[in-house]
Amino acid sequence: MNGDPSLPTYPTPGEALRLDRVTKSYGPRRVLDEVSFALGRGERVALMGPSGAGKSTLLNCIGGIDRPDSGDISVAGQSLSRLDGDGLSRLRRRAVTTVFQFFHLLPTLTAAENVAFPLQLLGVDRADRERRVAELLAAVRVDHRADAWPDELSGGEMQRVAIARALAPGPDLVLADEPTGNLDSATGDAILELLARLGDELGFALLLVTHSRHAAGICSRSLHLRDGRLCEGPFEA
Amino acid sequence: MNGSPAEARWLVLLLRQTTWRHWRRRLGSTLLLVGILAHGVGVFLSIRLASRAAVSGFSLFTESLTGESDFLIRPVSGDSLPEMSAREVRQRLGALPVAILPVVEATAVEVAQTLDAAEPGPLRLLGADLVALRNAAGDSVPEVSGDVGLGRDDQAFVSPDLASRHGLSAGSVFDLSINERRVSLRVAGVLRNDPLRPAVPPHLLLMDLPGLQQLVGRPEKLSRLEIRVADGIDAERWRREARRILTSAASDQGWRVETPEDRREAVAKMSRAFRLNLTVLSTLALLVGVYLIFQALEAAVVRRRSEMAILRSLGVGAGTIRRLWLLESTVLGILGGGLGVWIGWAAAQVTVGGVARTVNSLYHDTATRSAALHPTEAIFGLGFGILASLAAGWLPARDAAETPPAQMLRSGSRARGLAWLARPGWGVVVGLVAFAISWLPPWRNGAGDGLPVAGYASAFLWLAALSMMAGLLFRPLSRWLVGMGDRYSSLVVAGSQLRRPTGRHRLAVAGLVAATGMSAGMGVLVHSFEGTLTGWIGQMLRADLYVAPAAANQAGAGSVLPAAVWRSLAADSDVAGVDTIRRLPVEYGGRTIRLAGSDYHEDAARVMQMRWIEAPEPGRTPQALRAVADGADPPAWINEAMSRRFGLGRGDAITVPTPAGEKTLSILGVYADYSDEGGTVLTKLDRVTEWFGDDGVSNLAAYLKPGVNAEVVRARWQVALPAASIRENARLRADALRVFRETFAVTYSLEAIGVAVAVIGLGLALASLLVERRDELATLKSIGFTRGQIASAAAVEGAVLAAMGLVAGLILSLVLGDLLIRVINRQSFGWTLDYRVPVGLFIGLSLITLLTSATVSAWVGARSARLKGDRSE
Repeated sequence: MNGDPSLPTYPTPGEALRLDRVTKSYGPRRVLDEVSFALGRGERVALMGPSGAGKSTLLNCIGGIDRPDSGDISVAGQSLSRLDGDGLSRLRRRAVTTVFQFFHLLPTLTAAENVAFPLQLLGVDRADRERRVAELLAAVRVDHRADAWPDELSGGEMQRVAIARALAPGPDLVLADEPTGNLDSATGDAILELLARLGDELGFALLLVTHSRHAAGICSRSLHLRDGRLCEGPFEA
Repeated sequence: MNGSPAEARWLVLLLRQTTWRHWRRRLGSTLLLVGILAHGVGVFLSIRLASRAAVSGFSLFTESLTGESDFLIRPVSGDSLPEMSAREVRQRLGALPVAILPVVEATAVEVAQTLDAAEPGPLRLLGADLVALRNAAGDSVPEVSGDVGLGRDDQAFVSPDLASRHGLSAGSVFDLSINERRVSLRVAGVLRNDPLRPAVPPHLLLMDLPGLQQLVGRPEKLSRLEIRVADGIDAERWRREARRILTSAASDQGWRVETPEDRREAVAKMSRAFRLNLTVLSTLALLVGVYLIFQALEAAVVRRRSEMAILRSLGVGAGTIRRLWLLESTVLGILGGGLGVWIGWAAAQVTVGGVARTVNSLYHDTATRSAALHPTEAIFGLGFGILASLAAGWLPARDAAETPPAQMLRSGSRARGLAWLARPGWGVVVGLVAFAISWLPPWRNGAGDGLPVAGYASAFLWLAALSMMAGLLFRPLSRWLVGMGDRYSSLVVAGSQLRRPTGRHRLAVAGLVAATGMSAGMGVLVHSFEGTLTGWIGQMLRADLYVAPAAANQAGAGSVLPAAVWRSLAADSDVAGVDTIRRLPVEYGGRTIRLAGSDYHEDAARVMQMRWIEAPEPGRTPQALRAVADGADPPAWINEAMSRRFGLGRGDAITVPTPAGEKTLSILGVYADYSDEGGTVLTKLDRVTEWFGDDGVSNLAAYLKPGVNAEVVRARWQVALPAASIRENARLRADALRVFRETFAVTYSLEAIGVAVAVIGLGLALASLLVERRDELATLKSIGFTRGQIASAAAVEGAVLAAMGLVAGLILSLVLGDLLIRVINRQSFGWTLDYRVPVGLFIGLSLITLLTSATVSAWVGARSARLKGDRSE
């Protein structure tokens, strides 16, 4: 597990993610077909495509939850194919974090504790942890709800807390899986604005999975996945 | 990473921030879980502590006064040694520095108002040479002063307990009945407890040796000799020498030389099978707890599945999740086990009375009144609780660890269950193995005790086999349900779930098979036992009145009705005739058995009607016991326990020691006897009287003349013999059955618990299944399925699972009943029972299980129908 209990720092510019000819099949069906692309540090990229195009599989492979059949994935210069189960767990603890459509806050932890939890896993001491949690909750503007339980929060508040939790370990890469899909449009806009702002401030790379061209608007470019193949192009509003 | 300090830190963190908070939020459920485990450990431990206390309660009453002797010399036959044995021992040991303490033990019954009638336990009278005793014992024996006349038969020292309970002090007078004779004793003083020796037994009275001999009418007779080697650097050599001399003289003298430890071991062995069976029964309570905790932890895993998935997404490894759940089980085990140890100790204070009563009546004397909590037993109970909790938590921990990270989690993720349960074909193989091993002989220890190890293994394998084979019912039942679906859509939904059963379905059925199988199996045993016993009692008890010394229901009591007493009863003008029996302990094959003598009448109505295991040949019963040609071996019958323990049968000869020398008896038949499991050899009373030189009898059965009112005679006799036990036929039968029902009371509660556990377990399993099926429920609701329909589908699913478990469970109960009767009971106690199926119990059990299962399932279904299908809803 983590051997460095110091407070994580946000990454410096460089390459956050590289996929090289990643292929994945389920039975006879090829879900990802030689997908290659890279994300620079601090870059925001939208991943779009119809249902069943392979977006979730790609995200799972990048997060180290699923393994590609062939090809290689590197996060912050580290090849995932060389990591075992524990290594991948370590990766998810620090380098790659995820913001989910359905928030997935731990129900027994308050908002602040949810944000602090990844830092506790990393062994960050209490004072640093509390400082970082306070900063993050303030940054996502739910510091007034720090002691609330998840079931006392609105959908927008839950997603803000989830974003703060994802940012707590100072990741190189944040995977956002339809983060506004379960929110009304006004709240969704606020969440997108928040992700963009924090991305600019903290410098993490963001891979945003979305069906919405509007949501993709916060990204500098978009990738289109269709039948497991990738086609890259400038975003068209 | 495993086992690293960081891993430990994580586990503490997760335990504190997730597990602990879940416990707090569902405090009622958590406390219930701890309570269930504590109950299991408590029942288990209380039986162990009570058994241990009952066995360790055997002590030589002199130990509390003198400390432990080096050797005991007891008679190999009968219950007394001639007093001259002490001189013989002294002469043989020559100049060896040993002290010899002659001891007489007897029982008496309280009859006076001064002693508490609420505690009718017999008093123990110990007669010893008080001067020698004081020399050996020191200050715990009061100074024998001039006014306490040596050899007087009206003075006794009393135990501190007796003194304080009855307010006795030096000079007090109290009345006792000894050998049906009323006597008054004066308290000479109160014995003192010595912290370095066992506590003075609460019902002990100490008298001077000749005084007690006189009082019990056995002058120049001793119960035993205690030998104590002097301390010193050569003590070990003297001890070896004394043992060598005494052992070499033993066979000539009719002595048995043993150490107190030998004696304690021997009495512990007597009741080993009884205690083993109690332990196995009490283990069932713990298994019940394990099953419920397992189901509850499984339900918790399902409830917290999304939390596990999030933790996985945040980088918590599968191993850590598994260890977290095992840690949770351990903590539950510690809490439940700790509470269980306390409950067990408290419950043991209640159960010890019952266990001690059984040990007293069947095996040996025990003075136990309370059960101490030994540290080793406490640690054992706690450890057993933790192990049980870990066993219950193992499968849920594995399921939790297999939870994928949130990105992969489907709300319908299901537990695998136990793979072997999905192989009904293997169940047949396991059943065949179980059947085969049930025919193995018992495992025997050095003393010839049979322990039915193969019987228990067979029972366990049958449980596994039928749990597996129950799976064969899924397909036909689901087809039938789906086929009925034209009219009832709920049946289609229920049937479709059973068409492809999950591991949880199979586990729920296995739980039901186990619970109903054990409950109904116990019912088969009890019903068979009761039926057999009722028939046996009806056959054996045909006289009008039964008379016994009050302490006769004590296995170790040598109380008898003196000849003058029983002959006067026999000569009563209302009596047509009497049957008498005398039982005496003799050593045979390294164990103490009973040699009994009985008198049989020619009157056809009074011919003893035995229930035969091996009947005597025609024409040789029972007249053959009387008409024996001169010079031939006296004939005898032996009981079934004797036959099984020593492998004896009709046509064999048996040689037993008696004070008149060894006697060889010819065995004519083997009879059933449900009142003794140590072994009895029954022959003619006049022979026993002649061999032992004692014409007292242990019991008397009186047949009254026609028209005589038995109650009037009983009342008249009771006035003359206030301390004797005199019961009418109906009362004795009722008492015998009452004792039987009290003995088996624990099994009735186990039956009730078994059904409750089966239904609660099913409810928990179904709740977990429905939580796992949230998406399906949402879909059902979206297509117009009502909450009522979901509830009825769940009710049908639960009722069908219950029916499957019930069918296999009842089959299992028939098999377990057969094992308990044919193998376990016979090998443990040597008793043959008729096999009887409790049809009423089976019907009642089935109805209750099906109805409550359907109700609980419908309730769970109705609650689950309120669940959101998904968070997106």
